[in-house]
Amino acid sequence: MKKEPIIIAFCCNWCSYAAADLAGISRLQYPGSIRIIRVMCSGMVHPDLVLQALNKGADGVIVVGCHLGECHYLKGNEMALARAEIIADTLEDLGIAAERFQLVWVSSSEPERLVAAFRAMSERLRAGRTPEIEAKEAGQ
Amino acid sequence: MSETRRPRLCCHWLHACSGCELALLNGGDLFLGLLQLVDIVHFPLLLDYKYASGAEGKPDLPAAEIGLVSGGVASKNQLEVLRTLRGQCRILVAFGTCASHGGIPALRNQWTAEQTWNTVFQEDERSCSGEFEYEKWLDRVYAIDEQVEVDLLLPGCPPRPETIVATVAALAAGHQPQLAEKSVCEHCPTVRTGTGRMSVRRFLANADYDPEAPVDSMRCLLEQGLLCMGPVTVGGCGGREMPLCIRARVPCRGCYGPVRRQGNQLLDLLNVLASKGIDHRAIVDRRSLLRFSGAHGLLKPNIREG
Amino acid sequence: MPQVISIQPVTRIEGQARIDIHLDDAGQVADARLAIDALRGFEQFVIGRPAEEIPRIVSRICGICPWMHHLAAAKAIDCCFAATPPPAGQLLRELCHVLAHIHDKILHFFFLAAPDFIFEPNSDYSVRNLMGLVQRQPELAAEVVRMRQLGLAMLERIAGKATHPVAAVVGGFAKPMTEQERQGLLADGRVLLDFACRALDAAKKQVFVRFAEEETALGAIRTGFLGTVDDQGNLRFYQGRLRLMRPGGDTIDFAPSDYDRYLAERTEPWSTAKMVYARAWNEGFSLDLEAPRGVYRVNTLARINVCDRIATPLAQAELEAFRARFGRPAQGALLAHWARLIELVYACERVLELLADQRIAEPLVRTPAEPRAGRGCGQVEAPRGTLIHDFTTDDNGCIVRANLIVGTTHNIAPMNMSVHRAASTLIDGGRVDAALLNRIEMAVRAYDP
Ligand code: SF4
Ligand code: SF4
Ligand code: SF4
Ligand code: FES
Repeated sequence: MKKEPIIIAFCCNWCSYAAADLAGISRLQYPGSIRIIRVMCSGMVHPDLVLQALNKGADGVIVVGCHLGECHYLKGNEMALARAEIIADTLEDLGIAAERFQLVWVSSSEPERLVAAFRAMSERLRAGRTPEIEAKEAGQ
Repeated sequence: MSETRRPRLCCHWLHACSGCELALLNGGDLFLGLLQLVDIVHFPLLLDYKYASGAEGKPDLPAAEIGLVSGGVASKNQLEVLRTLRGQCRILVAFGTCASHGGIPALRNQWTAEQTWNTVFQEDERSCSGEFEYEKWLDRVYAIDEQVEVDLLLPGCPPRPETIVATVAALAAGHQPQLAEKSVCEHCPTVRTGTGRMSVRRFLANADYDPEAPVDSMRCLLEQGLLCMGPVTVGGCGGREMPLCIRARVPCRGCYGPVRRQGNQLLDLLNVLASKGIDHRAIVDRRSLLRFSGAHGLLKPNIREG
Repeated sequence: MPQVISIQPVTRIEGQARIDIHLDDAGQVADARLAIDALRGFEQFVIGRPAEEIPRIVSRICGICPWMHHLAAAKAIDCCFAATPPPAGQLLRELCHVLAHIHDKILHFFFLAAPDFIFEPNSDYSVRNLMGLVQRQPELAAEVVRMRQLGLAMLERIAGKATHPVAAVVGGFAKPMTEQERQGLLADGRVLLDFACRALDAAKKQVFVRFAEEETALGAIRTGFLGTVDDQGNLRFYQGRLRLMRPGGDTIDFAPSDYDRYLAERTEPWSTAKMVYARAWNEGFSLDLEAPRGVYRVNTLARINVCDRIATPLAQAELEAFRARFGRPAQGALLAHWARLIELVYACERVLELLADQRIAEPLVRTPAEPRAGRGCGQVEAPRGTLIHDFTTDDNGCIVRANLIVGTTHNIAPMNMSVHRAASTLIDGGRVDAALLNRIEMAVRAYDP
């Protein structure tokens, strides 16, 4: 893949988005093709949104929430976890490689962890996708 | 009969089963009443209008104020007819779930066209005297709004006769038709307690209910552990009364398509199960949950196969 | 100059088809074909599905006769899972089956076919249809509409959803009938029977009188027939043995699950629809008008020809009168319409028989089933002819292989012959007009494709 993979990052307002902010202030580098979308809680990201992002051209989707037990809405990230299992199990049913989706937990004081996750996903998508899969997906 | 010209109605089927057209006829008296409001200019089930005069002739369809198109698009020929219809109809309605979301025929989208033809014709290969004409077919089954602009979705497999007639009558009168926007569950009278089994089983034995008692004393089928797609399916199949499958004490399978136009019945249902704490891994064939809405690129051939 | 005349679409039939008439230099008919290009791939996309879901999927093969596919599949899956429905489950399924026949026959005869006989052949297309009928004979139209509604309403009461039904389930039926419902349905059934008898009488006076003239115009073909009978040779719709009759009248009976030993499928390059022919006759397959090989017909006329008798009195009397006049087997294509109304009478009588059986209202309607590997063949007589569903399941009870032979498939070969014959008889020197082309379509409509 020549260009940078486009990754949509759904970041919850309280931990992950704060971490992304901090990453900016701390001038940590991450690929420019990552598009952050702020949501109030990782538990708000409906699987349909993930699928729509992937079907409309994103190469990957990453959902970022607070560590388990630290969600500001108590159980939102548990919901995100249950949904992540659904998405992981279902993407291949829908003709999409499972590695194009990921869920990570990041606290507001862990910008390095966030950036590392962004970089790792970007690398993985760049390296891991076989031409067959790409051609198949492009041609639908 | 009125002096001003009545709106013209053009009704055509593509990759369809004729059930939508029949549903319109099943309106009975309502359908006869509709004949007083519109002039039918094309309707292959009922009317001998011919659109092609030569083998290579372009479709020649009459102009109409209202066009109802049932079925998805699977062949180049159907696509050409659909484009002509779009040009000829002022308001184009996706009539039925096949037209609006792909319907059952879009289950085929899990395989390539070639895989499908090989399966269908395998036994005949020896006696088949001709090659299959792949070039006549599209790569998959499309909902019609993937190919042309559509003014209204009228889902249902088939849509309810009263709803069809009311929709056409509203359009003929220049009004916005009223269609259900909430889920099948909103119209379902079964008893819900918010608790239930933690898994879903296959529909191999009947639900638990008293046949002498009305449906509103039956426990919600999902809470009884039967997979019911009511929560992720747009309502309307029962009109003002209860959903049709529930009348037969059978779980909903989603034939009206998703609640929101962009919804994905598979993901939406698993999401419902997750929120109720039900393990989705008990579902034997997840892709079946898209059996009515596999168009719009939702069902695709498996990336690991072939 | 050789030329092709296309009739597209063939109208007032229950699907999509095109007729191509090939003319030679002199404007005489060289060949004529009916092409059906509606391949949807059900055999492919049922694969991998849990078998108990199949009756609700394959119903979408046809929106006019979804009950036929629904029930054939339910019977096939019963076999795959070795589940035997209790008596009430069987009776309820058969009741739905005959009720579906009733409203289909009314639709076909009055809405689709009758306009050809009630209006002059050269009347305008905008009049020669149901809407024209409503204008010309409003009371008749209103009654026909009411009777169809009644049949549908009965189905809805029994089965919840009437179009693309859901109530036949592996091992039986989803919902029992109450005694009160049974009584109400009996009363409605009597209304339908009365209508059926009157419709047949009226058709004999108004419609069938024109058959002699039209039959000559359309020309004859001579084929075999296939239909379902019980052990005594009585006409059956829902269950029985298949009977294959040669053009001369000799018959062989066989179990539906042996269909592939007696019948074979093939495709021709000009149509994506398969054709079926009688393998049992060992004569191969040919559409040659003078010497067809392997060609047989299904649907109303075929059933009326193959059965020895009908077990209900009013229909039996009609059958005897029909046979006295046209012999057995009767070959005229348009006689299928007459046979259709005899079957309508039988179906109404059968509804009353089924409802008179107290067991139909028993509460036990379904035997629970266990998924397992197996093979099952389900067969019913659909309005358009013998319907066969053949499924194989894996250990998990999911489909691994499917073969479906629908009524129209059997009739594609004879329909082609009829179209060819009608075109050759009617077209001379390349001259055609709308009335003539409609007559050719009438040859197709008789088959109710
Ligand atoms: S939506 Fe249902 S009834 Fe309508 S054409 Fe499709 S399968 Fe048939
Ligand atoms: S899940 Fe099914 S049974 Fe339960 S309320 Fe919804 S539609 Fe009714
Ligand atoms: S209950 Fe569900 S499957 Fe049944 S008719 Fe209504 S929408 Fe369709
Ligand atoms: S607020 Fe961060 S995951 Fe809920």
